[in-house]
Amino acid sequence: MASAETCKPGHKSRFLILQEDEPGKDPLVQEVAYDGSLSPGQPVRNPEKLQHWLSSNHLCPCEPRQYAERELAHKLEELARSNLELEQFAYVASHDLREPLRMVATYTQLLAERYRGKLDKNADQYIEYATDGALRMQALIQDLLALSRVGRESASSQPVDCNCIIAEVVRDLEPAISESEAVIQCGTLPTVRAHPTEMRRLFQNLIGNALKFRGKERSVVRVQAALEGGYWCFSVTDNGIGIAAECQAGIFKIFERLHTRAEYPGNGIGLAICQKIVEQYEGRIWVESRPGSGATFRFTLPARGAESLESQA
Amino acid sequence: MTPVPEILVVDDNPGDVNLVRESLTGTFYESRVHTVSDVTSALEYLNREGKYKTTVRPDLVILDLKLSMPSGHSFLAKLKSEPELRSIPVVVFSSSKATADITRSYELGANSYVSKPADLKRFFSAVRAIEEFWFGYASLPLRENDERSHYSHAAD
Repeated sequence: MASAETCKPGHKSRFLILQEDEPGKDPLVQEVAYDGSLSPGQPVRNPEKLQHWLSSNHLCPCEPRQYAERELAHKLEELARSNLELEQFAYVASHDLREPLRMVATYTQLLAERYRGKLDKNADQYIEYATDGALRMQALIQDLLALSRVGRESASSQPVDCNCIIAEVVRDLEPAISESEAVIQCGTLPTVRAHPTEMRRLFQNLIGNALKFRGKERSVVRVQAALEGGYWCFSVTDNGIGIAAECQAGIFKIFERLHTRAEYPGNGIGLAICQKIVEQYEGRIWVESRPGSGATFRFTLPARGAESLESQA
Repeated sequence: MTPVPEILVVDDNPGDVNLVRESLTGTFYESRVHTVSDVTSALEYLNREGKYKTTVRPDLVILDLKLSMPSGHSFLAKLKSEPELRSIPVVVFSSSKATADITRSYELGANSYVSKPADLKRFFSAVRAIEEFWFGYASLPLRENDERSHYSHAAD
């Protein structure tokens, strides 16, 4: 089918011209609205006049398909730019906020050190609140920076043997593991294409959470992987306190916490980082859990370009 | 007699300048701390120009990077390119932990790079460690009209 589309960047109206070259048929002109909807086609009785009008308005004809592709590319570009801007904002903001905050933190500490017990009881309490707040904000900014750094790894992704990663993570978590006498059971894991440091952080956060949110029984954490439809599906299962269904969607949001700081320490950044790591590899992460009966965190990573379990065996 | 160590602090944040002073109050070395808040004054100080005609050439420069323009890096470049000044050790003391800032500083000839700790106690001990290292352990170039070869006697 012969057809043409015209549009002028930045111009208010855009037009699609259909059936331009079809013999015996008048061209149809459709106006494209801002939201992308099309007006009903208007036949054009005088194609020469139309051409003249188009060229005098610096409009160039092109295929509807090209038009759609260009729109899509444009939207994707816009999205990528806005994502980048947001990340840069988080990065710059957290960098620049650190400096004045350091002043607040150090000087409230100095106040506390020099004047504790020399003012009245209230003053001591106020200084303590201020110091505590400043230190907590420092930790939050540190976390925000860590989150914005995901995906900024300078090295390109490489084959990562998850078995080695787990061994490292277990070594790093050794104090927490021996303190709670936890058992970590790990099946044979595949090699995936990723950044080793990010994979380490992913497993560290998930296993760390499993140990942190343990129940009354001795904690048992099981790490497994299976190939499903071109993706490796990993699971980290624990026998901890579990998560209520209505809370499960929220736990991947930044700074979202289900417990008070007194119950469980932390800022609520770990799972947000996990989600960002998994999603940048076009994977997905979710949780299956019921309160009191443990939780299973599952995430997928593309199996392409990596060795399979079978080929390793 | 060993002369008193002279330190020039180049930092435009009065809070940090005060913390550095606090850190070095009552230490063994009793360093004399001088401060300037911008690169132009720092260069005048080192070249003993303008209102700094009577100052002593410092034994050590503690340099913040995030100064109002020109930046700490450009000061570092200038200092290390001047034959008269390049032998003065410069410790970059910045809140930045960015790899780019660290690498650039060493490329420009910084003698060490220390991040300003966010915790008060660690801040104090970092500044004291800088003093201790440069005046207790390191050997420094001769100060002009100066008999001493280095300060390490002070710690003996």
